Amino acid sequence: MDHPIELACIIDDDKIYVNLVKKIIEIKKLSQNLIIFKNGKEALDYFKAILENVSEERLPDIIFLDLNMPVMDGWEFLSEFVKIKNSFNKKITLYVVSSSIDPRDLERAKSFNMVTDYLIKPIELKRFEKIFERDVA
Amino acid sequence: MLNDLQLNSILEDFDVAYWKINLLTKEISWSQHFNYLIGNPDPGPNKFDFFLENILHRDYRYDFREHFEDLTTRFKPFTAEVRLKLENGKYRWFECRNLKSKDKGFSDAAVLLFVNIHQAKRDQYTIEENFFYYRETAEMTSTGGWYLDVNTNAVYWDNVTKKILDCPMDYEPNPEDKMRFYAGEHHGKVENMFKKCSKFGIPFKVEIKMRTLHNKEFWVRATGKPVYNNEQEIIGIRGVYQDIDEQKTNELNLQNSLDIIASQNSRLFNFAHIVSHQLRSHSSNLSLIAQLLREAKTSEDKLDLLINVNDISENLEKAIKDLNEVVTRQNNLKKEKQLVKFKDALDVVIASTSSLIKRENAEIIAEFDALNEINYISEYLESILLNLITNAIKYKFKGRKPVIYIQTYKEHGENFLEVSDNGMGIDLDEHGDKMFGMYKTFHRHPEANGIGLFITKNQVEAMGGSISVTSTVNIGTTFKIKF
Repeated sequence: MDHPIELACIIDDDKIYVNLVKKIIEIKKLSQNLIIFKNGKEALDYFKAILENVSEERLPDIIFLDLNMPVMDGWEFLSEFVKIKNSFNKKITLYVVSSSIDPRDLERAKSFNMVTDYLIKPIELKRFEKIFERDVA
Repeated sequence: MLNDLQLNSILEDFDVAYWKINLLTKEISWSQHFNYLIGNPDPGPNKFDFFLENILHRDYRYDFREHFEDLTTRFKPFTAEVRLKLENGKYRWFECRNLKSKDKGFSDAAVLLFVNIHQAKRDQYTIEENFFYYRETAEMTSTGGWYLDVNTNAVYWDNVTKKILDCPMDYEPNPEDKMRFYAGEHHGKVENMFKKCSKFGIPFKVEIKMRTLHNKEFWVRATGKPVYNNEQEIIGIRGVYQDIDEQKTNELNLQNSLDIIASQNSRLFNFAHIVSHQLRSHSSNLSLIAQLLREAKTSEDKLDLLINVNDISENLEKAIKDLNEVVTRQNNLKKEKQLVKFKDALDVVIASTSSLIKRENAEIIAEFDALNEINYISEYLESILLNLITNAIKYKFKGRKPVIYIQTYKEHGENFLEVSDNGMGIDLDEHGDKMFGMYKTFHRHPEANGIGLFITKNQVEAMGGSISVTSTVNIGTTFKIKF
């Protein structure tokens, strides 16, 4: 099961968290490549550029989206991304990853069809690995 | 002269029973109807005694005997209201009086009529009772009645109305100055509702402020209904005033407290959310490191991870410091308000930010002529100005000299402070609602820490004011504070 996922994407402004996840992915060899965005706006710009054929970049197989971010938060990103995701001819799995334990956030995240699940930080290593396995199966 | 038979039949038709008394022999004869009413008893030899013992209610025995004596010996007129026990065993009210004959003195007979007044008597009791309840209720609830004659404009008040309006009982309302009894702010409303009622017959039920004779304003619930004459024309308005000042004042106080509590609650909730979220994000990172440490194989990997622990502890400390600052500012509320000159507050702020102002070559223009001082907590005013000024400089438009224009003014009796800049601006459609939340930053700016505007809003609101913002991207931002 070497390099099952080609490209994973993290949208999160917490540098320490991003570093740690990066480390996990490297150590466990969960994905060949990783792209990181500090907020929703940077990520959205990336996807829009691909859509308008001005970028040769690739689409990720899986996205881990934080909720609380400056400039454009996770909710705003979701509502924008929903509008364009059908234009991609690739299945993109999306997980919301947040330290918020507010049940309203959870409800709201589940209301988006494209949100596979809501993960509460800290993520568990075992669970994280399983997500990558399942996504490939 | 009617004969006995005719008289009898007429009296019976009117449900009137009578006695005929022979004044010489004192002999009494009962009319047929009287006999019938009391159930045709056998009165024995002495009808009068039988009547007193068995028919007349005992309360009236003495009086009846006196009256009877007066009538039969001195021809004095007999009138009394008495209660008689009828054939069904129940007492009924009768009016008892003698039939006046023109040639009294010569007459050898007297006629004593018994007229059934039971219904009238009961109605009278009911009316008295109702009136009692009405008066007690009116007094207890401070509800006064009034009437307005729409043709003459004459006004009639009952005693309770006079009382709640602090008018002496002999006060006569003057149609000319009836509006003086309503608070100025409600004159339009009052005129409108009276007009609608007198012209179109639309009743009203409103809560308004009235004004007593001594100009004390108080809350009243006023109702009014049209009064029609036989031609169905509106001739007047009738209604009541109920003094609800205590309830209304309580209600307003309650609403006020509720608003304060709701706003404090929302601030607390926001704060709790921030605390939980901020602390959680650090603790979750720590826990992630712990998991990785368990899995790390080489000591190099472990050392690598430990560097992160250091970063987390620094972030955690900063978060706690920020939260602490918010709490400290909240507690400052206990400080006393005093007259603060805007210029003095601004001078303090400029002195403490002189290096930043110099470095960025910022220009600050202040216009405090229209409103040069305000009753406020000076630390708050300085803190508000400090936050808004450093914000304006921090988010300047790159390559443009930062200009900050500060202005105070009065409008509709309210005091305002405006701080405008020529900076990078912000898209309010996207960020407007989150602008004053904690840890909401909208610019990729290293110095954006997300607590300045949160604290400013808290301070303004704690002093009972409000803050709003207008902005245009690449043009600038204006913060407006209503004190």
